[in-house]
Amino acid sequence: MATTWNTSNLVPDDTGSKSANSIPWYLWCSVLAVTSVSIGAHWDVSWHRSIGRDTFWTPAHIAIYACGVLAAISCGYLVLFTTFRKPASMVASSVEIFGFRAPLGAFIASWGGIAMLTSAPFDNWWHNAYGLDVKIVSPPHTLLMLGVFAVSVGTLIMLLGSMNRAEQAGNAMLARHLQWMLLYIGGLMVVFQMFFRMEYTWDVYLHGASAYEAIAIGMPTLFAVLWQSSRSRWACTWATLIYTVFLEAAVLILPLFPAEPKLGPVFQQVTHFIPPKFPILLIVPAIAMDLLWNSTRTWKPWLTALASGPVFVLSLVAVEWPFADFLMTKAAANRFFGTTYFGYPEPPTSFDVLRRFVDPQHGATLWNGLALAMLFAFLSTWLGIALGRWMRAIQR
Amino acid sequence: MPFSARTSTSLGRHRKKPGAGKWSERLFLFTIIAILAGAVPARAHVGSPDIYADGKAGPYRLFVTVRPPLVIPGVAEIEVRAEDTGTDAPAISGIQIAPIPLTGPASLHPPVADPMKQSAQDKHFFTGALWIMASGSWQVRFTVQGSQGAGVLSIPVPATSSSTRGMQTGLGVLLGSLGLLLVAGVIGIVGAAARDAQLPPGAVASRQATKRAWIAMGGALVFMIAAVWFGNVWWKGEADNYARYVYKPLTMQALLEQSPNAGPSLKLKIEDPGWLKSRKIDDLVLDHDHLMHLYFIRKPGMDVVYHLHPEQIAPGEFQLALPSIPAGTYSLYADVVHATGFPETLVAQLTLPVIAGRPLTGDDAKGLAQALNPARVDGNSCPASLITRSSFPLPDGYTMVWDNPGILPAKTPQIFGFSLLDVKGKPASDTALYMGMLGHAAFVKDDGTVFAHVHPSGTVSMAALMMAAAQNRTGASKADEMASMPGMAMPAASNAPTKLPNTVGLPYGFPAAGAYRIFVQMKHGNTIETAAFDACAAASRN
Repeated sequence: MATTWNTSNLVPDDTGSKSANSIPWYLWCSVLAVTSVSIGAHWDVSWHRSIGRDTFWTPAHIAIYACGVLAAISCGYLVLFTTFRKPASMVASSVEIFGFRAPLGAFIASWGGIAMLTSAPFDNWWHNAYGLDVKIVSPPHTLLMLGVFAVSVGTLIMLLGSMNRAEQAGNAMLARHLQWMLLYIGGLMVVFQMFFRMEYTWDVYLHGASAYEAIAIGMPTLFAVLWQSSRSRWACTWATLIYTVFLEAAVLILPLFPAEPKLGPVFQQVTHFIPPKFPILLIVPAIAMDLLWNSTRTWKPWLTALASGPVFVLSLVAVEWPFADFLMTKAAANRFFGTTYFGYPEPPTSFDVLRRFVDPQHGATLWNGLALAMLFAFLSTWLGIALGRWMRAIQR
Repeated sequence: MPFSARTSTSLGRHRKKPGAGKWSERLFLFTIIAILAGAVPARAHVGSPDIYADGKAGPYRLFVTVRPPLVIPGVAEIEVRAEDTGTDAPAISGIQIAPIPLTGPASLHPPVADPMKQSAQDKHFFTGALWIMASGSWQVRFTVQGSQGAGVLSIPVPATSSSTRGMQTGLGVLLGSLGLLLVAGVIGIVGAAARDAQLPPGAVASRQATKRAWIAMGGALVFMIAAVWFGNVWWKGEADNYARYVYKPLTMQALLEQSPNAGPSLKLKIEDPGWLKSRKIDDLVLDHDHLMHLYFIRKPGMDVVYHLHPEQIAPGEFQLALPSIPAGTYSLYADVVHATGFPETLVAQLTLPVIAGRPLTGDDAKGLAQALNPARVDGNSCPASLITRSSFPLPDGYTMVWDNPGILPAKTPQIFGFSLLDVKGKPASDTALYMGMLGHAAFVKDDGTVFAHVHPSGTVSMAALMMAAAQNRTGASKADEMASMPGMAMPAASNAPTKLPNTVGLPYGFPAAGAYRIFVQMKHGNTIETAAFDACAAASRN
């Protein structure tokens, strides 16, 4: 049975914000942390495709680790301030873990910061033991990305708690502003989710089911979480629009800066930073999901998820498959679509340089794979709906 | 390096097919269990991975040391000593270095060169480091600027991963502690999420919510145990996968065959135990006139040595009509070079009865010496008294002299100088080139763990050196290139005979402390002389 806190021994003011109508600085700090790592991650991959050699102190690395530092500053402040100063409003909206008090999101983001810090010596040892790994998905990199993911989720939950409290307090304007920030973070989470899948969604892989399976695992979960928790009818569309604009901005901006390979073997003469591939057209299934979920609010979650799986996968395949054909043509060989950019170590015989699909699938093999992707999308959506509904009620 | 783009090269790891990634790689996982990868003894080049080379970059003579990384990709450490040949020697203002594959399309596109750092105390000494990104046959290109313009020298670098490293105890404790904190953090966060997260501000959790939280924390604990287990499996898989790229030399089987007509012969069968798919056994190239240079060294005293040259009779099969050989157990070291310029030393052992075979002909040669006294050697340390003599009397009355004997720290580059004296003790006036060079040497550790076949140009294979030099050609002839290599003086274009020096310098550095025997071969007239000197290497200064 719920009771109320005895607040007689608590500090009365909440120094986290100037007024009840403003967004506290630590939320801005956390949003900046997620922004920083999103830019840093793509910058770093571009660095390794363009220059190759790096040190710990490259700007891209600093942008990545600034995420951990900013998260540590904001969440460390929240945890320590709430635990030891005991301001009434902050204590009242906090959770307790091992004697410390703070909003739940602050603990999650702190966990992410520790994971990022742990990954640094782990990654360094990994390189010494097994050589510099030339791939994204390795155990230490995964730990780093788990940390980044936790900072993002923690920020999302802090925003949700604040938004929900503002809404319950009748502060619609603040709730609206927090919703925008939440959708922005959602968009960056789409960016990062797709970053983690980069090795499987390269444009030359888009005529095989594996790319769609990789997207169907987890991406519908994020869509459903955002749609359910943000209370925005167009949450998925906004988030994927941010993803699309972010990636396209990288495609357009990175080549403006000079770079040259400092490692061999050099197969491509590189004179500027190599950008990421053109964004996946996730905005199409995102619009489809928003439309579907807006019209199935009364459905059971499992039924909604069952309908969502095929809609997500088939709408994505319907646009991405022919678009991938287009990306292989000379018509796409321009600055906007960016299909002429190749990293220095890409041999001239590689599928990417030749602009040919790797092991294109068709017939039963393809449909079996897509059926698997639909199953993944169904399960992912179901999980996302459950998580999103739970998050929708977060108060702390 | 937080993130790096997946790349593929024709030299290194193979491109992964789409969808070939394990499901495990698609999930967010982490691991905290430290697997201590066991060190694997380095066998590439038989325990002597560092490269020592002497060469000319245009007018500038350089003594180069390249210490390849233990793992690939990794950083090679490079040192250059600009050899000062007197007051008129050209002054070097700077050296730039670039790593380039020795052959293939990427050999045409070097990355941006890096400047080497010039020592403030010693203007002739330069240091630098380069990333070697893939296993295989590489070269480091040195571009020198100085008082007489620019000069280029390329030194071949066979790059292999030779082992994996374990984790230091302190780091293991640190990572393990942080890992436990992360596991505990997840459990605590899950508990707080289930108990408090949805409570209105100011409310406290009900007993039911608390009970729900404990159940959730139990579930989180089970999940984290599963995640750690899964992470352990993944880590082990990655380590096993990496171990496949650790260098595995070609294996060699040696068989003694007796034929009533042709006499005793040696058959060598070469097999690939599996390493890089790009390695072949049918692509061997001539290395100073022969496909294979085979050293026969009798164990344990190294008192008998043969330098022989079997003929290839089929891909992966070599045959040699044996000369007369004393009975004993012999270590066989066979040097071959692939078409990529990648050199390998194949190892075998063979116990022979007394062989009554053919006389030595052509470039084949043998040497006899006193057995290395094991009493003078204690593990990896040895006394100065091991070096009992610096001159070696040869069977025909000539003498070979080691010009600069002494104890050297391991991993220290030096040019080992040897002179050939005639029967009167005067510098030999009839010195001849032996397989195109003034001398050859084999540095062999007393326990057989080190074998290095060294020439005046250093430890690099001559075939690879020629490949690298050809890429630097700017109108110079092949003869000019060879003449630029120390100890490879070519006959002049005119018919006038050129008198060769009676000395040879061999660049090398002992890889580890201990006792070594140096077999040195020089030629005068038609006689190939083989001398043996004992050397002692002290512990490395590093």
